[in-house]
Amino acid sequence: MKNNTADVIVIGAGIIGAATGYYLAKKKLKVYVLEKEFPCFGSTGRCIGGIRQQYTHPLSINVMKESVKIFSSLNKEFGKDIEWFPGGYLFLAHSEEQKNTYLSTIQIQHKFNLPVRFISADECNNIVNGINTEGLLGGAYCPTDGQANPFAVTYGYLQRIKELNGKVFTNSNVSKIKTSGNKAKSVITNCGEYFAPVVINATGSWAKHVSKMVGLDVPIEPERHESLVTEACERLFDPMLVDYRSDGCYFIQNYGTGHFIGCYTPVPNNPGYDRRASSEFITEMPRRMSRLVPRLKELKVIRQWAGSYEMTPDGNPIVDKTPVEGFYISAGMCGHGFMFGPALGKYMSELVTTGKTSLPLDDFALNRSFGKAEAMK
Amino acid sequence: MKQNTIICRCEEITEKEIIKVIEQGYHSLDEIKRLLRCGMGHCQGRSCTMIIARILSQKTGQPMSKIKITTSRPPLKPISIKVLSEYKSHEE
Ligand SMILES: Cc1cc2nc3c(=O)[nH]c(=O)nc-3n(C[C@H](O)[C@H](O)[C@H](O)COP(=O)(O)OP(=O)(O)OC[C@H]3O[C@@H](n4cnc5c(N)ncnc54)[C@H](O)[C@@H]3O)c2cc1C
Ligand code: FES
Repeated sequence: MKNNTADVIVIGAGIIGAATGYYLAKKKLKVYVLEKEFPCFGSTGRCIGGIRQQYTHPLSINVMKESVKIFSSLNKEFGKDIEWFPGGYLFLAHSEEQKNTYLSTIQIQHKFNLPVRFISADECNNIVNGINTEGLLGGAYCPTDGQANPFAVTYGYLQRIKELNGKVFTNSNVSKIKTSGNKAKSVITNCGEYFAPVVINATGSWAKHVSKMVGLDVPIEPERHESLVTEACERLFDPMLVDYRSDGCYFIQNYGTGHFIGCYTPVPNNPGYDRRASSEFITEMPRRMSRLVPRLKELKVIRQWAGSYEMTPDGNPIVDKTPVEGFYISAGMCGHGFMFGPALGKYMSELVTTGKTSLPLDDFALNRSFGKAEAMK
Repeated sequence: MKQNTIICRCEEITEKEIIKVIEQGYHSLDEIKRLLRCGMGHCQGRSCTMIIARILSQKTGQPMSKIKITTSRPPLKPISIKVLSEYKSHEE
C-alpha cells in the first residue's frame, strides 16, 4: 500500500477520532487520523473529564455502561495510567420538584441495573464533607460513575493506533473530500491528498462543515461553555457534584492532580465558535461553587478557558453511516463526548466492518426526527 | 543541565521527561503541555514555558522564533474563590 493510502481515514483527533481509529486499527485496518491542529485541540482538550451513566435515554445509559467498562480496562490496554477513578456523581436536589424528577429517573436507571440511589442531605454530607445542607433535600448518587484524564485517554488511543501500523497527521486541515460515483475516495489537506474507501467525520463542533464537503447537512451547532481550575489541594471529596438549578454548576476534584475543575451551563446559551474566556464566568463560577461547598473559599483559581459543546436538536449524538457510501459521521456529542467516546468508537468500528452494531444505535441515527430530548443534559 | 533537573517546578516535571516526549515525536509546546502538564501548574508556565521552548529548539533544530508559545490564560495571578466571589463589577 502506498503511504498516502489507508483503509480508513478518520478526520479529527479528539476523543471520538482517537477511539474510533483505535478500534478499527485493532481490527487490522490501516488507519490514518488527520487533525488540523494537534490532538485535543478541540473540545476534548477543554473538557473536565467527567464520566457518568445517569441518563434517562435508554441508549445513552447502555452506551455509558459500556464506556465505563472500557475506561476501567484502559490502563491495562495502554500500559499507562489514564487516571480513571470511580468516585461517583451526585446530582443535588434543592426543591421537591427536582427531587421527584430524580426519583423518577432513578426508576428508569434501575431497569438497567445502575446502582443509583436517592440519598439524604446527611448522607450527601458524609460523601462531600462540608457541603452546604441549607435547602438541600438530598441527591441522586451513582458510585460507579467517575472521571478520567482526557489527554491521557486520547493520546493513549493515538499511540496505540501508531503501534498498530496507523498514522496520525497533525497540522493537516481537510479542505475537500472527493467522491467517485457517490463513494468516498480521498481527502485533500494542506499537506496533500490521502486515499481511503472509508472516511469518518469525527470533527466535533466542526462536523457540519466537514459533512458539507460531501454535500450533507447535519444539525450540529457549537455552543460556548466555560471552565476553570483551582490550585491543587489534599483530597476533599470524590464525586462530581451537579447542581441543575438555573444558577447551578458542576465540579469535581481531579483525581490525578488534586485540582478542582468545573463549569456551568449559561442561561441563555452562547451559540457560536467564540472561545474567549469571560470575566462574568470567573466571578460567577466561584460564587456558585462556594455556595455549594463553602470551605472551598480559600482555594485559588489558577486558570479559566472556554470550549464548545457540539449541540444537536435533541441533545443526543449523531453516529451513523450516510447517504454517501463509505462516509460516516460520529459527532455532535452535546457535551458528553469524552465519556461516550470509548463505547462509540467501538460501535463505529463494528458498523464500518460489519454494517451493523452489537448495540442498535437507531436513536443516534442521522435521519431521526430529533424530537425526544435528553432530560439529564 | 543534568537530565533530572526539574524544569517545571509547579508540576515537578524533569528535563528527562520533556526530552523523552520530544524524542517520541511531539514537537510543539501545546502537545508537550498536554502530555506532561508542564505549564499548567500554579504559575501557569510563567517560569517554565521559555525553558521548555529552548529545550525543544535544541532537540529539534527549530529556531526559537518558529516555536509557537502556548496561550496564556486568565487570571494573571491565582486569586482565591472568596475574593472572586465577592467581586462586583462597576456596572452592577
Ligand atoms: C468546558 C467543557 C467541559 C466538558 N466536560 C465534559 C465532561 O465532563 N465529560 C464529557 O464526557 N464531556 C465533556 N465535555 C464535552 C466533550 O469535551 C466533547 O463532547 C468531546 O470532547 C467531543 O469530542 P470530539 O472528538 O467529537 O470533538 P473534538 O475534541 O472537538 O475534536 C474534533 C477535532 O477535529 C479537528 N478538526 C475540525 N475540523 C477539521 C478539519 N477540517 N480537518 C482536520 N481536523 C479537523 C479539530 O481540530 C479537533 O481536534 C466538555 C466540554 C467543554 C467545552
Ligand atoms: S513552573 Fe511550570 S507551571 Fe509553573
